Amino acid sequence: MSDYVEGDINTIDNDVVEHDVNDASASMPEEVLTYLARQLASDPDAVAIEAEERGGKVSLKLHVGPDDMGRVIGRRGRTAQAIRTLVGAAGARSGKSTNVDIVDD
Amino acid sequence: MEWVEVTAKSLDEASERALSQLGVSEKDAEIQVLEEPKTGMFGRVKGEARVRARVAPAIPRPKRGGGRNGGRNRNRNEGRSESDRGGRGESTPKQGTKKKNDRPAKPKVEDAAPQRRNEKEQDMADGVTLEEQAAVGKEFLEGLVSVMGLDAAVEIRPLEEDLVELAVDGAEGLGVLVGPRGTTLAALQDVTRTVVQGRFPSKTDRILVDVARYRERRVAALGRFTAQIAEEVVASGEAQALEPMSPADRKAVHDAAKDIAGIETRSDGEGPSRHVVIAPSN
Repeated sequence: MSDYVEGDINTIDNDVVEHDVNDASASMPEEVLTYLARQLASDPDAVAIEAEERGGKVSLKLHVGPDDMGRVIGRRGRTAQAIRTLVGAAGARSGKSTNVDIVDD
Repeated sequence: MEWVEVTAKSLDEASERALSQLGVSEKDAEIQVLEEPKTGMFGRVKGEARVRARVAPAIPRPKRGGGRNGGRNRNRNEGRSESDRGGRGESTPKQGTKKKNDRPAKPKVEDAAPQRRNEKEQDMADGVTLEEQAAVGKEFLEGLVSVMGLDAAVEIRPLEEDLVELAVDGAEGLGVLVGPRGTTLAALQDVTRTVVQGRFPSKTDRILVDVARYRERRVAALGRFTAQIAEEVVASGEAQALEPMSPADRKAVHDAAKDIAGIETRSDGEGPSRHVVIAPSN
């Protein structure tokens, strides 16, 4: 459970948290992204997610190993788009809008 | 058909929330305004907007309720825990595995699909069987369903000699994996194929993914629709152009038309405007 309480103004900025990939309390869109990325990656241990949540909007940054960038993005960004759609569906389920960035580092 | 009712500050917001609960887009939903927010002085809003929405009956309006599982994912977000995820795994029927064993691993008959022979030869050279690929896809989908807290099982269903469907089925709430016009389902299939490809670098277009029998029902609905248009075409002697469709939908129309006498079909147009034309045959 996140510290953020919907509609509670006092908690709105409290919950900028970086979750560990294996954090069992991670919010659902983040869990789904983690799962998808680890399944897609040839090096699952290089998968890292930064999550930032405010006011029902979840912003996710995905890091993968250098060899897996192409795989998670796909031809013409097709896989990236599919990942966004699925993470978005997971977010909608928990009433959150999501944004997924694949970070090149 | 299930209605969801949503209250919010504005009509737009209420509609948007209702749609996201249903997991469909505005095009695929039926929205009724139950209460409009009253605009007070200086545009200040008093009261709340209340709408109800449901997944619109699938085109082309099946006569008997082809109920989608849409809008039933309310109140299903809570109560997920490690323990009930484990329990779900145990209770999953292992039908897929059984089916798989029923199917003899016989050598593929190339004549079955001559148009795809080149791809098939490549697959055979890779030595990767469709069964192995399907098993990886099934495992991936089971994991995803569990991470999403959905109660569903995945079954491997051989469709044709060289085509397998991974069918995700469950009680309810699977509309979220189908999405507006099946877009989420399309994404699911893309990712599943990419995951399978990652394990077995080989063609993966022999794997289809279906959720809550959406694909199956869509194919059936398109079949009825095709039959109806074909009847009109035969009666009038004039060709009819259908609205643009995805490749999968066009294939369903072509396949259905094959069994209908007096007409023939072709695809016209490029890219997003590509559509099927049903014409009288000579």
